[in-house]
Amino acid sequence: MLEVNGLSAGYQGNDVVHDVAFHVDQGEAVMIIGSNGAGKTTLFQTLCGLHPPSSGKVTFEGDDITGIPAERIARLGMRFVSAARHLFPRMTVQEHLLLGAYPHKPDPATMSIVLDLFPRLAERRKQRAGTMSGGEQQMLAVGRALMSKPRLLMLDEPSTGLAPLLAKSAYEALDVLREQGLTVLVTEQQVPLAMAFSDRGYVLENGFIRLEGTTEQLAANPAVRSAYLGVI
Amino acid sequence: MTANILDGIVLGLQFGLLAAGLTLIYGLGGVLNLGYGQIAVISAMTVALAMDAGVPVLPAVGLGLLAGGLFGLLLDLTILRPVYRLHGEARVLLSLLLTLGVSFIVDGYLNWRYPLKSLSLYIGGGAIDILGVPMRRGSLVASAITLVTIAGLFVFFRSTSLGRAIRSVIEDEAGARLIGIDPKKMLRLILVLSGVLAALVALTRSMIAPVDTTSGLSITVFALIVTVVGGLGNFVGALLAGIILGIVSVVAADLIGSYISLIILLGAAAVTILIRPAGLLGVKE
Repeated sequence: MLEVNGLSAGYQGNDVVHDVAFHVDQGEAVMIIGSNGAGKTTLFQTLCGLHPPSSGKVTFEGDDITGIPAERIARLGMRFVSAARHLFPRMTVQEHLLLGAYPHKPDPATMSIVLDLFPRLAERRKQRAGTMSGGEQQMLAVGRALMSKPRLLMLDEPSTGLAPLLAKSAYEALDVLREQGLTVLVTEQQVPLAMAFSDRGYVLENGFIRLEGTTEQLAANPAVRSAYLGVI
Repeated sequence: MTANILDGIVLGLQFGLLAAGLTLIYGLGGVLNLGYGQIAVISAMTVALAMDAGVPVLPAVGLGLLAGGLFGLLLDLTILRPVYRLHGEARVLLSLLLTLGVSFIVDGYLNWRYPLKSLSLYIGGGAIDILGVPMRRGSLVASAITLVTIAGLFVFFRSTSLGRAIRSVIEDEAGARLIGIDPKKMLRLILVLSGVLAALVALTRSMIAPVDTTSGLSITVFALIVTVVGGLGNFVGALLAGIILGIVSVVAADLIGSYISLIILLGAAAVTILIRPAGLLGVKE
Protein backbone atom coordinates (compact mmCIF):
# COMPACT_ATOMS: atom_id res chain seq x y z
CA MET A 1 0.00 0.00 0.00
CA LEU A 2 2.72 2.46 1.03
CA GLU A 3 6.21 1.92 -0.38
CA VAL A 4 9.15 4.13 0.62
CA ASN A 5 12.55 3.82 -1.06
CA GLY A 6 15.83 5.66 -0.47
CA LEU A 7 14.03 8.58 1.14
CA SER A 8 16.17 11.41 2.48
CA ALA A 9 14.79 14.63 3.92
CA GLY A 10 15.74 17.49 6.16
CA TYR A 11 15.93 21.23 6.53
CA GLN A 12 18.03 23.69 4.52
CA GLY A 13 20.22 21.05 2.94
CA ASN A 14 20.91 19.23 6.20
CA ASP A 15 19.27 15.85 5.96
CA VAL A 16 17.75 14.52 9.15
CA VAL A 17 16.43 11.33 7.57
CA HIS A 18 18.81 9.28 5.41
CA ASP A 19 18.07 6.70 2.72
CA VAL A 20 15.01 5.32 4.51
CA ALA A 21 13.18 2.33 3.01
CA PHE A 22 10.09 0.60 4.39
CA HIS A 23 6.63 -0.52 3.36
CA VAL A 24 3.16 -0.87 4.81
CA ASP A 25 0.77 -3.49 3.43
CA GLN A 26 -3.01 -3.36 3.33
CA GLY A 27 -4.55 -4.09 6.74
CA GLU A 28 -1.28 -3.93 8.67
CA ALA A 29 -0.33 -1.88 11.69
CA VAL A 30 3.28 -0.81 11.38
CA MET A 31 5.27 1.18 13.95
CA ILE A 32 8.36 3.29 13.57
CA ILE A 33 10.06 3.57 16.92
CA GLY A 34 13.02 5.65 17.93
CA SER A 35 14.13 8.11 20.56
CA ASN A 36 13.46 11.84 20.55
CA GLY A 37 15.33 13.45 17.64
CA ALA A 38 15.70 10.22 15.65
CA GLY A 39 13.88 11.84 12.72
CA LYS A 40 10.42 10.28 13.13
CA THR A 41 8.52 13.54 12.81
CA THR A 42 10.60 14.75 9.85
CA LEU A 43 10.00 11.41 8.14
CA PHE A 44 6.23 11.65 8.66
CA GLN A 45 6.01 15.30 7.63
CA THR A 46 7.82 14.37 4.43
CA LEU A 47 5.57 11.38 3.73
CA CYS A 48 2.40 13.43 4.17
CA GLY A 49 3.66 16.20 1.88
CA LEU A 50 4.10 19.05 4.36
CA HIS A 51 7.81 18.96 3.66
CA PRO A 52 9.60 18.14 0.36
CA PRO A 53 12.06 15.21 0.31
CA SER A 54 15.62 15.78 -0.90
CA SER A 55 15.74 12.39 -2.64
CA GLY A 56 14.00 9.04 -2.82
CA LYS A 57 10.63 7.76 -3.91
CA VAL A 58 7.27 7.28 -2.18
CA THR A 59 4.41 5.35 -3.77
CA PHE A 60 0.91 4.98 -2.36
CA GLU A 61 -1.31 2.30 -3.87
CA GLY A 62 0.92 2.23 -6.92
CA ASP A 63 0.90 6.00 -7.52
CA ASP A 64 4.14 7.96 -7.24
CA ILE A 65 3.40 10.61 -4.60
CA THR A 66 6.97 11.84 -4.10
CA GLY A 67 6.99 15.60 -3.52
CA ILE A 68 3.23 15.98 -4.00
CA PRO A 69 1.75 18.69 -1.70
CA ALA A 70 -0.08 17.65 1.48
CA GLU A 71 -3.55 18.70 0.32
CA ARG A 72 -3.37 16.33 -2.64
CA ILE A 73 -1.95 13.43 -0.65
CA ALA A 74 -4.75 13.86 1.89
CA ARG A 75 -7.32 13.53 -0.90
CA LEU A 76 -5.74 10.27 -2.05
CA GLY A 77 -6.85 8.65 1.20
CA MET A 78 -3.66 8.92 3.23
CA ARG A 79 -4.38 10.90 6.39
CA PHE A 80 -1.78 12.19 8.81
CA VAL A 81 -2.48 13.01 12.45
CA SER A 82 0.41 15.19 13.60
CA ALA A 83 1.76 15.21 17.14
CA ALA A 84 1.07 18.97 16.95
CA ARG A 85 -2.55 18.02 16.07
CA HIS A 86 -3.10 21.12 13.90
CA LEU A 87 -6.69 21.61 15.01
CA PHE A 88 -8.66 24.80 14.33
CA PRO A 89 -8.81 26.45 17.79
CA ARG A 90 -11.90 28.63 17.29
CA MET A 91 -13.93 26.01 15.45
CA THR A 92 -16.25 23.53 17.15
CA VAL A 93 -15.92 19.75 17.40
CA GLN A 94 -18.84 19.39 15.01
CA GLU A 95 -17.19 21.71 12.47
CA HIS A 96 -13.96 19.71 12.63
CA LEU A 97 -15.78 16.48 11.94
CA LEU A 98 -17.75 17.98 9.05
CA LEU A 99 -14.56 19.44 7.59
CA GLY A 100 -12.83 16.07 7.89
CA ALA A 101 -14.98 14.82 5.03
CA TYR A 102 -14.30 17.90 2.85
CA PRO A 103 -14.86 18.25 -0.09
CA HIS A 104 -17.39 15.42 0.14
CA LYS A 105 -20.63 15.43 2.09
CA PRO A 106 -20.05 13.99 5.57
CA ASP A 107 -21.26 10.39 5.70
CA PRO A 108 -23.69 9.90 8.64
CA ALA A 109 -22.56 6.28 9.12
CA THR A 110 -18.92 7.35 9.43
CA MET A 111 -19.97 10.14 11.79
CA SER A 112 -21.69 7.66 14.10
CA ILE A 113 -18.68 5.31 14.00
CA VAL A 114 -16.45 8.20 15.09
CA LEU A 115 -18.84 9.34 17.81
CA ASP A 116 -19.23 5.77 19.09
CA LEU A 117 -15.46 5.43 19.22
CA PHE A 118 -15.03 8.76 21.02
CA PRO A 119 -18.19 9.43 23.09
CA ARG A 120 -16.45 12.50 24.56
CA LEU A 121 -16.66 14.16 21.16
CA ALA A 122 -20.40 13.45 21.00
CA GLU A 123 -20.84 15.17 24.38
CA ARG A 124 -18.83 18.19 23.24
CA ARG A 125 -20.00 18.77 19.71
CA LYS A 126 -20.48 22.51 20.25
CA GLN A 127 -17.23 23.09 22.15
CA ARG A 128 -14.36 24.92 20.48
CA ALA A 129 -11.24 22.84 19.94
CA GLY A 130 -8.99 25.45 21.57
CA THR A 131 -10.74 25.01 24.93
CA MET A 132 -10.45 21.22 25.08
CA SER A 133 -7.97 19.09 27.02
CA GLY A 134 -5.01 17.37 25.37
CA GLY A 135 -6.71 13.99 25.33
CA GLU A 136 -9.90 15.37 23.81
CA GLN A 137 -7.88 17.24 21.18
CA GLN A 138 -6.11 14.02 20.25
CA MET A 139 -9.46 12.26 19.87
CA LEU A 140 -10.69 15.11 17.70
CA ALA A 141 -7.60 15.02 15.49
CA VAL A 142 -8.07 11.29 14.93
CA GLY A 143 -11.84 11.69 14.50
CA ARG A 144 -11.36 14.44 11.92
CA ALA A 145 -9.00 12.18 9.94
CA LEU A 146 -11.42 9.25 10.14
CA MET A 147 -14.31 11.28 8.71
CA SER A 148 -12.63 11.08 5.30
CA LYS A 149 -12.70 7.24 5.46
CA PRO A 150 -8.92 7.05 4.95
CA ARG A 151 -7.26 3.94 3.57
CA LEU A 152 -4.05 4.67 5.48
CA LEU A 153 -3.98 6.47 8.81
CA MET A 154 -0.59 7.87 9.87
CA LEU A 155 -0.22 8.85 13.52
CA ASP A 156 2.77 10.77 14.81
CA GLU A 157 3.25 10.04 18.51
CA PRO A 158 -0.42 9.64 19.46
CA SER A 159 0.57 9.41 23.14
CA THR A 160 2.23 12.87 23.17
CA GLY A 161 1.10 14.99 26.08
CA LEU A 162 -1.31 12.36 27.38
CA ALA A 163 -1.36 10.93 30.87
CA PRO A 164 -0.49 7.19 30.86
CA LEU A 165 -4.13 6.10 31.25
CA LEU A 166 -5.28 8.35 28.41
CA ALA A 167 -2.44 7.15 26.18
CA LYS A 168 -3.57 3.59 26.84
CA SER A 169 -7.17 4.37 25.96
CA ALA A 170 -6.01 6.15 22.79
CA TYR A 171 -4.40 2.90 21.70
CA GLU A 172 -7.53 0.97 22.66
CA ALA A 173 -9.46 3.14 20.22
CA LEU A 174 -6.86 2.42 17.57
CA ASP A 175 -7.27 -1.31 18.23
CA VAL A 176 -10.97 -0.99 17.47
CA LEU A 177 -10.15 0.74 14.17
CA ARG A 178 -7.69 -2.00 13.26
CA GLU A 179 -10.34 -4.65 13.79
CA GLN A 180 -12.45 -2.73 11.28
CA GLY A 181 -9.66 -3.21 8.75
CA LEU A 182 -7.91 0.18 8.85
CA THR A 183 -4.24 0.25 7.84
CA VAL A 184 -2.16 2.22 10.36
CA LEU A 185 1.38 3.57 10.42
CA VAL A 186 2.41 4.95 13.79
CA THR A 187 5.53 6.51 15.31
CA GLU A 188 5.99 6.25 19.03
CA GLN A 189 8.49 7.07 21.73
CA GLN A 190 6.56 5.06 24.28
CA VAL A 191 7.59 1.82 22.66
CA PRO A 192 5.63 -0.66 24.81
CA LEU A 193 2.35 0.99 23.75
CA ALA A 194 3.20 0.72 20.06
CA MET A 195 4.49 -2.84 20.47
CA ALA A 196 1.20 -4.02 21.92
CA PHE A 197 -0.58 -2.52 18.93
CA SER A 198 1.57 -3.23 15.85
CA ASP A 199 2.24 -6.24 13.61
CA ARG A 200 5.65 -5.09 12.43
CA GLY A 201 8.09 -2.32 13.12
CA TYR A 202 11.18 -0.41 12.18
CA VAL A 203 13.74 1.18 14.48
CA LEU A 204 14.87 4.65 13.42
CA GLU A 205 18.13 5.92 14.93
CA ASN A 206 19.85 9.17 13.94
CA GLY A 207 17.81 9.22 10.76
CA PHE A 208 18.71 5.69 9.61
CA ILE A 209 16.58 2.58 9.82
CA ARG A 210 18.71 0.24 11.96
CA LEU A 211 16.41 -2.69 12.51
CA GLU A 212 13.20 -4.12 11.19
CA GLY A 213 11.04 -7.11 11.94
CA THR A 214 7.83 -8.38 13.40
CA THR A 215 6.87 -7.01 16.77
CA GLU A 216 7.92 -10.32 18.39
CA GLN A 217 11.35 -10.23 16.73
CA LEU A 218 11.93 -6.64 17.80
CA ALA A 219 10.71 -7.33 21.34
CA ALA A 220 13.20 -10.19 21.56
CA ASN A 221 16.12 -8.14 20.24
CA PRO A 222 18.55 -7.30 23.07
CA ALA A 223 19.39 -3.83 21.63
CA VAL A 224 15.70 -2.92 21.42
CA ARG A 225 15.06 -4.32 24.88
CA SER A 226 17.74 -2.23 26.54
CA ALA A 227 17.21 0.96 24.53
CA TYR A 228 13.42 1.13 24.31
CA LEU A 229 11.88 -1.35 26.72
CA GLY A 230 14.02 -0.50 29.74
CA VAL A 231 15.15 -4.12 30.10
CA ILE A 232 18.83 -4.50 30.95
CA MET B 1 -27.07 62.97 19.00
CA THR B 2 -29.39 60.18 17.83
CA ALA B 3 -28.93 61.48 14.29
CA ASN B 4 -25.16 61.31 14.68
CA ILE B 5 -25.31 57.77 16.01
CA LEU B 6 -27.59 56.62 13.20
CA ASP B 7 -25.33 58.26 10.61
CA GLY B 8 -22.38 56.68 12.38
CA ILE B 9 -23.97 53.24 12.13
CA VAL B 10 -24.63 53.77 8.40
CA LEU B 11 -20.97 54.69 7.90
CA GLY B 12 -19.79 52.02 10.32
CA LEU B 13 -21.53 49.16 8.54
CA GLN B 14 -19.70 50.17 5.39
CA PHE B 15 -16.42 50.52 7.27
CA GLY B 16 -16.97 47.05 8.66
CA LEU B 17 -17.70 45.42 5.32
CA LEU B 18 -14.74 47.25 3.78
CA ALA B 19 -12.41 46.03 6.53
CA ALA B 20 -13.83 42.50 6.32
CA GLY B 21 -12.47 42.18 2.79
CA LEU B 22 -9.02 43.37 3.82
CA THR B 23 -8.85 41.36 7.03
CA LEU B 24 -9.88 38.09 5.36
CA ILE B 25 -7.03 38.30 2.84
CA TYR B 26 -4.60 39.00 5.64
CA GLY B 27 -5.94 36.23 7.83
CA LEU B 28 -5.90 33.72 5.02
CA GLY B 29 -2.71 34.55 3.21
CA GLY B 30 -0.66 37.05 5.22
CA VAL B 31 -1.19 39.51 2.38
CA LEU B 32 -1.95 43.21 3.00
CA ASN B 33 -3.61 44.69 -0.08
CA LEU B 34 -2.92 48.44 -0.23
CA GLY B 35 -4.59 48.57 -3.64
CA TYR B 36 -7.88 47.70 -1.98
CA GLY B 37 -9.42 51.18 -2.29
CA GLN B 38 -8.48 51.27 -5.97
CA ILE B 39 -10.53 48.13 -6.57
CA ALA B 40 -13.49 50.06 -5.14
CA VAL B 41 -12.74 53.00 -7.42
CA ILE B 42 -12.31 50.82 -10.53
CA SER B 43 -15.69 49.31 -9.81
CA ALA B 44 -17.32 52.73 -9.33
CA MET B 45 -15.76 54.01 -12.57
CA THR B 46 -16.94 50.90 -14.43
CA VAL B 47 -20.50 51.64 -13.34
CA ALA B 48 -20.20 55.35 -14.19
CA LEU B 49 -18.78 54.63 -17.67
CA ALA B 50 -21.32 51.89 -18.37
CA MET B 51 -24.15 54.25 -17.45
CA ASP B 52 -22.61 56.95 -19.68
CA ALA B 53 -22.69 54.40 -22.49
CA GLY B 54 -26.41 53.92 -21.92
CA VAL B 55 -26.39 50.74 -19.83
CA PRO B 56 -29.32 50.74 -17.34
CA VAL B 57 -28.41 51.12 -13.69
CA LEU B 58 -28.88 47.55 -12.45
CA PRO B 59 -26.83 45.81 -15.18
CA ALA B 60 -24.23 48.56 -14.74
CA VAL B 61 -24.03 47.77 -11.03
CA GLY B 62 -23.62 44.10 -11.95
CA LEU B 63 -20.71 45.04 -14.22
CA GLY B 64 -19.18 47.06 -11.38
CA LEU B 65 -19.31 44.11 -8.97
CA LEU B 66 -17.86 41.86 -11.67
CA ALA B 67 -15.04 44.35 -12.26
CA GLY B 68 -14.19 44.31 -8.54
CA GLY B 69 -14.07 40.50 -8.45
CA LEU B 70 -12.03 40.28 -11.64
CA PHE B 71 -9.50 42.81 -10.39
CA GLY B 72 -9.07 40.75 -7.21
CA LEU B 73 -8.52 37.66 -9.35
CA LEU B 74 -6.05 39.58 -11.52
CA LEU B 75 -4.00 40.53 -8.44
CA ASP B 76 -3.91 36.87 -7.38
CA LEU B 77 -2.80 35.69 -10.81
CA THR B 78 -0.15 38.36 -11.40
CA ILE B 79 1.67 40.50 -8.88
CA LEU B 80 0.85 38.35 -5.85
CA ARG B 81 2.57 35.31 -7.35
CA PRO B 82 6.07 36.29 -6.15
CA VAL B 83 4.48 37.23 -2.79
CA TYR B 84 3.16 33.68 -2.31
CA ARG B 85 6.69 32.31 -2.54
CA LEU B 86 7.68 34.21 0.61
CA HIS B 87 6.62 33.52 4.17
CA GLY B 88 6.01 35.46 7.37
CA GLU B 89 7.04 39.11 7.57
CA ALA B 90 8.72 39.13 4.16
CA ARG B 91 5.41 38.13 2.60
CA VAL B 92 3.51 40.93 4.34
CA LEU B 93 6.13 43.50 3.35
CA LEU B 94 6.37 42.49 -0.31
CA SER B 95 2.58 42.36 -0.66
CA LEU B 96 2.38 45.83 0.90
CA LEU B 97 4.96 47.29 -1.52
CA LEU B 98 3.64 45.64 -4.68
CA THR B 99 -0.01 46.49 -4.03
CA LEU B 100 0.99 50.06 -3.15
CA GLY B 101 2.62 50.18 -6.59
CA VAL B 102 -0.59 48.92 -8.17
CA SER B 103 -2.55 51.62 -6.34
CA PHE B 104 -0.26 54.35 -7.79
CA ILE B 105 -0.63 52.98 -11.29
CA VAL B 106 -4.42 52.71 -11.04
CA ASP B 107 -4.73 56.19 -9.49
CA GLY B 108 -2.43 57.69 -12.09
CA TYR B 109 -4.23 56.07 -15.00
CA LEU B 110 -7.74 56.94 -13.82
CA ASN B 111 -6.83 60.55 -13.03
CA TRP B 112 -5.21 60.97 -16.43
CA ARG B 113 -7.86 59.18 -18.46
CA TYR B 114 -11.02 60.14 -16.54
CA PRO B 115 -10.29 63.31 -14.55
CA LEU B 116 -13.21 64.64 -12.51
CA LYS B 117 -15.27 61.53 -13.23
CA SER B 118 -17.38 60.45 -10.29
CA LEU B 119 -20.21 58.09 -9.48
CA SER B 120 -23.39 59.06 -7.65
CA LEU B 121 -26.15 56.49 -7.49
CA TYR B 122 -28.71 58.99 -6.28
CA ILE B 123 -31.86 57.51 -4.83
CA GLY B 124 -34.77 59.94 -4.92
CA GLY B 125 -37.79 60.29 -2.68
CA GLY B 126 -38.25 62.03 0.62
CA ALA B 127 -36.56 61.33 3.91
CA ILE B 128 -37.88 58.52 6.12
CA ASP B 129 -38.17 58.94 9.88
CA ILE B 130 -36.13 56.49 11.96
CA LEU B 131 -36.35 57.01 15.75
CA GLY B 132 -37.56 60.54 15.02
CA VAL B 133 -34.59 61.32 12.80
CA PRO B 134 -35.20 61.99 9.12
CA MET B 135 -32.87 59.66 7.19
CA ARG B 136 -32.20 59.92 3.49
CA ARG B 137 -33.42 57.00 1.40
CA GLY B 138 -29.94 56.53 -0.07
CA SER B 139 -28.48 55.93 3.42
CA LEU B 140 -31.19 53.43 4.27
CA VAL B 141 -30.91 51.49 1.02
CA ALA B 142 -27.10 51.44 1.36
CA SER B 143 -27.36 50.18 4.95
CA ALA B 144 -29.93 47.55 4.02
CA ILE B 145 -27.69 46.20 1.22
CA THR B 146 -24.68 46.22 3.54
CA LEU B 147 -26.58 44.41 6.31
CA VAL B 148 -27.89 41.77 3.94
CA THR B 149 -24.36 41.22 2.63
CA ILE B 150 -22.95 40.90 6.15
CA ALA B 151 -25.69 38.40 7.05
CA GLY B 152 -24.95 36.48 3.85
CA LEU B 153 -21.26 36.34 4.73
CA PHE B 154 -22.09 35.01 8.20
CA VAL B 155 -24.23 32.25 6.74
CA PHE B 156 -21.53 31.46 4.19
CA PHE B 157 -18.74 31.17 6.76
CA ARG B 158 -20.78 29.34 9.42
CA SER B 159 -22.99 27.01 7.45
CA THR B 160 -21.41 26.05 4.15
CA SER B 161 -18.59 23.59 3.75
CA LEU B 162 -16.65 26.00 1.53
CA GLY B 163 -17.01 28.73 4.16
CA ARG B 164 -15.77 26.38 6.89
CA ALA B 165 -12.86 25.35 4.68
CA ILE B 166 -11.86 29.00 4.29
CA ARG B 167 -12.03 29.53 8.06
CA SER B 168 -9.94 26.43 8.66
CA VAL B 169 -7.10 27.93 6.59
CA ILE B 170 -7.22 31.07 8.76
CA GLU B 171 -7.14 28.91 11.90
CA ASP B 172 -4.31 26.53 10.95
CA GLU B 173 -2.95 26.37 7.42
CA ALA B 174 -1.04 23.09 7.88
CA GLY B 175 -4.10 21.54 9.52
CA ALA B 176 -6.24 22.57 6.55
CA ARG B 177 -3.76 21.07 4.09
CA LEU B 178 -3.68 17.81 6.06
CA ILE B 179 -7.41 17.37 5.49
CA GLY B 180 -7.17 18.08 1.77
CA ILE B 181 -7.90 21.82 1.61
CA ASP B 182 -5.72 23.81 -0.81
CA PRO B 183 -4.91 27.18 0.84
CA LYS B 184 -3.96 28.74 -2.51
CA LYS B 185 -7.39 28.06 -3.97
CA MET B 186 -9.09 29.44 -0.86
CA LEU B 187 -6.94 32.59 -1.03
CA ARG B 188 -7.81 33.10 -4.69
CA LEU B 189 -11.48 32.79 -3.83
CA ILE B 190 -11.14 35.32 -1.01
CA LEU B 191 -9.32 37.78 -3.29
CA VAL B 192 -12.27 37.62 -5.67
CA LEU B 193 -14.71 37.95 -2.76
CA SER B 194 -12.83 40.91 -1.29
CA GLY B 195 -12.85 42.58 -4.71
CA VAL B 196 -16.62 42.20 -4.84
CA LEU B 197 -16.93 43.55 -1.27
CA ALA B 198 -14.80 46.60 -2.12
CA ALA B 199 -16.99 47.14 -5.17
CA LEU B 200 -20.16 46.80 -3.11
CA VAL B 201 -18.93 49.34 -0.56
CA ALA B 202 -18.02 51.80 -3.34
CA LEU B 203 -21.44 51.41 -4.95
CA THR B 204 -23.42 51.74 -1.72
CA ARG B 205 -21.19 54.65 -0.67
CA SER B 206 -22.08 56.42 -3.91
CA MET B 207 -25.71 56.38 -2.79
CA ILE B 208 -24.69 58.72 0.05
CA ALA B 209 -21.76 60.72 -1.35
CA PRO B 210 -19.99 60.77 -4.73
CA VAL B 211 -17.09 58.34 -5.27
CA ASP B 212 -14.45 59.80 -7.58
CA THR B 213 -11.13 58.76 -9.09
CA THR B 214 -9.19 60.07 -6.08
CA SER B 215 -11.21 58.15 -3.46
CA GLY B 216 -8.99 55.04 -3.51
CA LEU B 217 -6.37 56.07 -0.97
CA SER B 218 -8.87 57.23 1.65
CA ILE B 219 -10.89 54.01 1.25
CA THR B 220 -7.74 51.93 1.81
CA VAL B 221 -6.76 54.04 4.83
CA PHE B 222 -10.19 53.69 6.45
CA ALA B 223 -10.20 49.94 5.77
CA LEU B 224 -6.73 49.62 7.25
CA ILE B 225 -7.58 51.55 10.43
CA VAL B 226 -10.72 49.49 11.01
CA THR B 227 -8.86 46.26 10.28
CA VAL B 228 -6.13 47.06 12.79
CA VAL B 229 -8.63 48.04 15.50
CA GLY B 230 -10.71 44.91 14.87
CA GLY B 231 -7.70 42.61 14.92
CA LEU B 232 -5.87 41.60 11.74
CA GLY B 233 -7.49 38.53 10.28
CA ASN B 234 -10.60 38.75 12.46
CA PHE B 235 -13.86 38.97 10.51
CA VAL B 236 -16.21 39.66 13.44
CA GLY B 237 -13.67 42.09 14.89
CA ALA B 238 -13.67 44.04 11.64
CA LEU B 239 -17.46 44.42 11.69
CA LEU B 240 -17.50 45.47 15.35
CA ALA B 241 -14.63 47.93 14.91
CA GLY B 242 -16.32 49.30 11.79
CA ILE B 243 -19.50 50.23 13.67
CA ILE B 244 -17.63 51.70 16.66
CA LEU B 245 -15.30 53.76 14.47
CA GLY B 246 -18.18 54.82 12.21
CA ILE B 247 -19.97 56.33 15.20
CA VAL B 248 -16.73 57.87 16.55
CA SER B 249 -16.03 59.39 13.15
CA VAL B 250 -19.45 60.99 12.68
CA VAL B 251 -19.68 62.27 16.25
CA ALA B 252 -16.15 63.71 16.09
CA ALA B 253 -16.84 65.33 12.74
CA ASP B 254 -19.97 66.95 14.12
CA LEU B 255 -18.49 68.12 17.42
CA ILE B 256 -15.03 69.16 16.22
CA GLY B 257 -14.76 69.09 12.45
CA SER B 258 -14.28 66.60 9.66
CA TYR B 259 -10.51 67.15 9.32
CA ILE B 260 -10.02 66.34 12.96
CA SER B 261 -12.19 63.21 12.73
CA LEU B 262 -9.57 61.33 10.69
CA ILE B 263 -6.96 62.19 13.30
CA ILE B 264 -9.32 60.95 16.00
CA LEU B 265 -9.79 57.69 14.08
CA LEU B 266 -6.04 57.23 13.83
CA GLY B 267 -5.79 58.05 17.55
CA ALA B 268 -8.42 55.42 18.34
CA ALA B 269 -6.43 52.87 16.32
CA ALA B 270 -3.21 53.83 18.13
CA VAL B 271 -4.85 53.55 21.56
CA THR B 272 -6.30 50.15 20.63
CA ILE B 273 -2.88 48.87 19.61
CA LEU B 274 -1.39 50.16 22.88
CA ILE B 275 -4.05 48.52 25.04
CA ARG B 276 -4.77 45.42 22.94
CA PRO B 277 -1.92 44.82 20.48
CA ALA B 278 -3.87 42.10 18.67
CA GLY B 279 -6.94 44.33 18.18
CA LEU B 280 -10.39 44.30 19.82
CA LEU B 281 -11.10 40.63 19.15
CA GLY B 282 -7.60 39.59 18.19
CA VAL B 283 -6.08 36.43 19.56
CA LYS B 284 -2.49 36.52 20.78
CA GLU B 285 -0.20 34.47 18.58
